[in-house]
Amino acid sequence: MAGQSDPQLSLFSAEEVEFIAEDEMVEIVPNLRMDALNFVCGDFGPFFPQLATQVPLWLAVALKKRGKCTIRPPQWMTVEKLTQVLEAERDSQRVFEQLPFHYVEISRLLFDHARDDIPDVYMVRSLIEDIRDVRFHKVETNLESLNERAFALKINNLSAMEVNIVRPFVGRALQAFYKHDSPDLIPDQDRVSDRRPQVANNATRRHLRR
Amino acid sequence: MAKYYDIDDIITDEEIVAVIFQKSASGVGIDPSSETDCVEVGSKVELPFWLAHELQQRQAVSLNIPTSFNQNTRLEIQADSACVDLRSRCPFFYEFGCKIAPLVGARNIGPLLLSAFKSRYKEVLTKAHTAAFTAASKNLTILTKEETNLYEAAQSSMAAFKKWRMGGPRFQKASILGRKRKSTE
Repeated sequence: MAGQSDPQLSLFSAEEVEFIAEDEMVEIVPNLRMDALNFVCGDFGPFFPQLATQVPLWLAVALKKRGKCTIRPPQWMTVEKLTQVLEAERDSQRVFEQLPFHYVEISRLLFDHARDDIPDVYMVRSLIEDIRDVRFHKVETNLESLNERAFALKINNLSAMEVNIVRPFVGRALQAFYKHDSPDLIPDQDRVSDRRPQVANNATRRHLRR
Repeated sequence: MAKYYDIDDIITDEEIVAVIFQKSASGVGIDPSSETDCVEVGSKVELPFWLAHELQQRQAVSLNIPTSFNQNTRLEIQADSACVDLRSRCPFFYEFGCKIAPLVGARNIGPLLLSAFKSRYKEVLTKAHTAAFTAASKNLTILTKEETNLYEAAQSSMAAFKKWRMGGPRFQKASILGRKRKSTE
């Protein structure tokens, strides 16, 4: 079975996920005058001092490093908002709160490069860590329900990094369950000599969980 | 043929099974305890699985259920599957079970594998992402190869994430840079 003996089932490394996250848009306030920048991914600017504009995160970080702008933290990255999210995450055992798909990576990049632009940076940082821990614990509880009848798992609002962490494990576990539930080994129905109809029967017996 | 180069699959084929010869065979040194180079009908010999499988296809032998799947193991797995040391019984418990089940005609092996994996999976899941490596290495010794793979997949992805979160050098310099001109000067 493909992937069963391969320990490197993970498709993306954390750095690659971070790279993808750098395409998310953030708001910056430039302190220089500059013409519009024309890139393959779109045109950004023109930039005027003190006039906020939307740019991709990688451009914002590049400008920030040169001291040419301040980054406005995203709407969700405030102490009040994150406290609410954390409360809600703790309250419900199953549902995940809606956060940006790349919230782990965006917050890491902003903490690294623009900590002076985030109010209450220590508080925000520890809140995000807490949210991530609570959510990951919930992912694990969700995975406990995995069994031979599941051949897919749907968890709403899971973020890119969280998916990336559990991907190798879940992929393997589902494969193993599928293998052990094969109709050759589990004689649950009338055995017929031809294998193909049996496989079809088995597939209809499965259903998506949640 | 898909598994032809799979080393785990090859090792699985080396597992020993007890067989009973249905035909006498002469000129073979299979049975080390016999005095002659001849195997009588009805003699019980332990053979590696790949050989037993071939002989069984020619109706030369009949396979016994291996000890890893006998009643004792079954009871132990039913009692507390998470603590059973499956690795010492058979490192490729699940793979071997899948191979042997259709040959010995034991219908209960399949459900046994499934129920064992299902309950042991939970144990692996709870430890894999959280436990520190040193604390978990004790549990690692009772896991079969397939479970170890699962465990290590989770461990390595979690370790990679932690490494990324802790930071370190943001950019790695390609080794070719930096010594660009030194060789010519």
